[in-house]
Amino acid sequence: MDSPRESIHNSLTRRDLLLRMGGGLVAITVSSMWGEISPAQARARGTALRTLSAAQGRTLEALGGVLLPGAREAGIAHYVDDQLRRDNPLFLLKYMDYVDSYTTFYAEGLRSLERQSSVRYRQSFRALSREQQEELVRALSRNSPQGWNGPPAPLFYFVTRNDAIDVVYGTPEGFDKLNFPYMGHIRPPERW
Amino acid sequence: MTRVEKVDIVIVGSGAAGSVFAAKLAQSGKSVVILEAGPERTLKNLYSSQIWARRLKWAGPPTETEGPDPVSVAFNSGWGTGGAAVHHYANWLRLHPEDFEMQSRFGRGSDWPISYDELRPFYDRIQREVGISGDARAEVWRPAGEPYPMPPLPVFAQAQLIAQGFSQLGLRTAPVPMAINSVVYNGRAACANDGWCDAGCTLGALANPLVLHLPQALAAGATIHHHSYVTRVLTNTKGDRARGVEYYDAKGQRHIQEADVVVLAAFTVQNPRILLNSATARHPNGLANSSGVVGRYIMAHSTANVFGLFKEETENFMGRTGGQLLSQESYVKDPHKGYVGGSQWLIGNALKPNDLLGIANSRPELFGNALHEFLATASQHLATMTFVGEKLPSSDDRLALSEKKDPYGFPLARITHAFGPDAIKCFEAGIKEGQTIFRAAGAYDVWVSTRARMHLMGGVIMGRDARMSVTNSYGQTHDAGNLFIAGSSLFPTGGAVNPTFSIYALALRSAEYLLAHWGGLTSS
Repeated sequence: MDSPRESIHNSLTRRDLLLRMGGGLVAITVSSMWGEISPAQARARGTALRTLSAAQGRTLEALGGVLLPGAREAGIAHYVDDQLRRDNPLFLLKYMDYVDSYTTFYAEGLRSLERQSSVRYRQSFRALSREQQEELVRALSRNSPQGWNGPPAPLFYFVTRNDAIDVVYGTPEGFDKLNFPYMGHIRPPERW
Repeated sequence: MTRVEKVDIVIVGSGAAGSVFAAKLAQSGKSVVILEAGPERTLKNLYSSQIWARRLKWAGPPTETEGPDPVSVAFNSGWGTGGAAVHHYANWLRLHPEDFEMQSRFGRGSDWPISYDELRPFYDRIQREVGISGDARAEVWRPAGEPYPMPPLPVFAQAQLIAQGFSQLGLRTAPVPMAINSVVYNGRAACANDGWCDAGCTLGALANPLVLHLPQALAAGATIHHHSYVTRVLTNTKGDRARGVEYYDAKGQRHIQEADVVVLAAFTVQNPRILLNSATARHPNGLANSSGVVGRYIMAHSTANVFGLFKEETENFMGRTGGQLLSQESYVKDPHKGYVGGSQWLIGNALKPNDLLGIANSRPELFGNALHEFLATASQHLATMTFVGEKLPSSDDRLALSEKKDPYGFPLARITHAFGPDAIKCFEAGIKEGQTIFRAAGAYDVWVSTRARMHLMGGVIMGRDARMSVTNSYGQTHDAGNLFIAGSSLFPTGGAVNPTFSIYALALRSAEYLLAHWGGLTSS
């Protein structure tokens, strides 16, 4: 009996295969002066954030780097920043039935993260040691600490963790890193 | 404000139920307008990405959710042509006869105003029309009905491994019956088993309104308007008949669509919300709400995933999102179990690394390099199965209007929901059993996700007694004879099976009733 990998390839028609190859191009994109580019490219080219402030972007990058090393370089801040401008954003927060402003969710969450860092360690979250950053993130994943004024800390942790996972592993390149067959059908032909 | 030409029937929502109504009525010569809140979609813009797939989920005004077990609205709802059915997993299971008689048999909840035997012909007809893959003989728990028109879909390593655990414990499994083609059926392609069901099936193998009833409706002359957000049902001066609906277009312009018959098929949240927002001096507590029941008896199934790591490669990327095998060994409602309720297992769900139900979220506490390491292992060796548990209805689980307003000034919905003692005991028994099964199957690491809510039902329930329900068995409201409700809003109880097959069967039955009684229903 063929393995699933073999059997699926044996059952594909040429049209299916072409569709799937096209699917291999699926990627997250952000709008920029260079057109639609990946969040990683947007970061590498120094594209300015348009909804988040530069400081918020740096904190989100630092948080992303703790949640999933590689998320900073994959452009987590540019991804979130771009999605905040969309009518129907794609980040996981959408599934959380969060009724208030998505922009406020990130702004308040990042502000509260920095405040917690300041209260606990008297330093910006970005300046903490990796051990301190992980300790704080672990605490936030469990409860909203005293003085936390943003969205519930565990929700903020869960959503930003998923943003990090999306930019690192949610694309065909990310699937490849895990040796996980993508098998896509159709790539998005439009801005998303 | 514009008042557009009156039609025979206006249908709010283009999903599973609305599309069946539209097709059957348009094919019978009625003028049909469908109002869809979201954008237009075709198979060509269902892209293979768990990130992109989030576009298919509700993006209209949000819903406040609260209570010990808040329901999940956006994830379960749809946005655009075809509604939630575009991203549904196509596990098409019949409710069991006892699900229709919970009050008579167990003194819990409400009886449906119809029996399984009355709905069975419509299950059978929809099954033939749509196409279901499965093995009726292997489903030893299955209620009476015609065998499936297609052979079952293939079973891959993940489900085969888990099935060994069931077998070790003397528990039976069978292929999940799915409205997904295992072979070419009625001109639609066969499934490729690549697990992109949640992103919308571009092959057309998975039955959804885009490949089934909407094309039929449009070919028969029905019209669909997108970005058409319905806020109220409008009534005549006496308040006993619907005369149409009010809606807003993408530019925020207000319109009135008049019709002889109004069908609300706008899913479990918007159906009761629209009725409550349609209050007037004649019906101050909301339209069709003389019973006070509109918004009450909202239900969700309890759910969790059992996860296990195996030494073997599980090839968890193969198959369908909804699973590969089924077990309903615990479906029978036996009060001697210590609770009233049934459950089922959906075994071997196809996985992706990211997204709400993705591999990474099977261990939400992991972050940093530990998450990388887990993903590297789990992407090759993780297996899972999904618990679906019954929740008995309670009038305290309800949708009410919020203080917050949508952009047009209408209150948002606020839903309060809690699992009762029976549902919690049913869930705990199931999860304990699930872990035992995984260990028997040979998993070297076994864990369970937290208790969650899946499927949305109730809120505009049907019943025989107009004092305790909103509609009759056809979804026709007791208070306004030309106003119909469609979808899982009607369910007085929800059993423990995925609701879509029952939604289709009920919609077919109601549409035929509507046509058979058209003259009497439309004469004012």
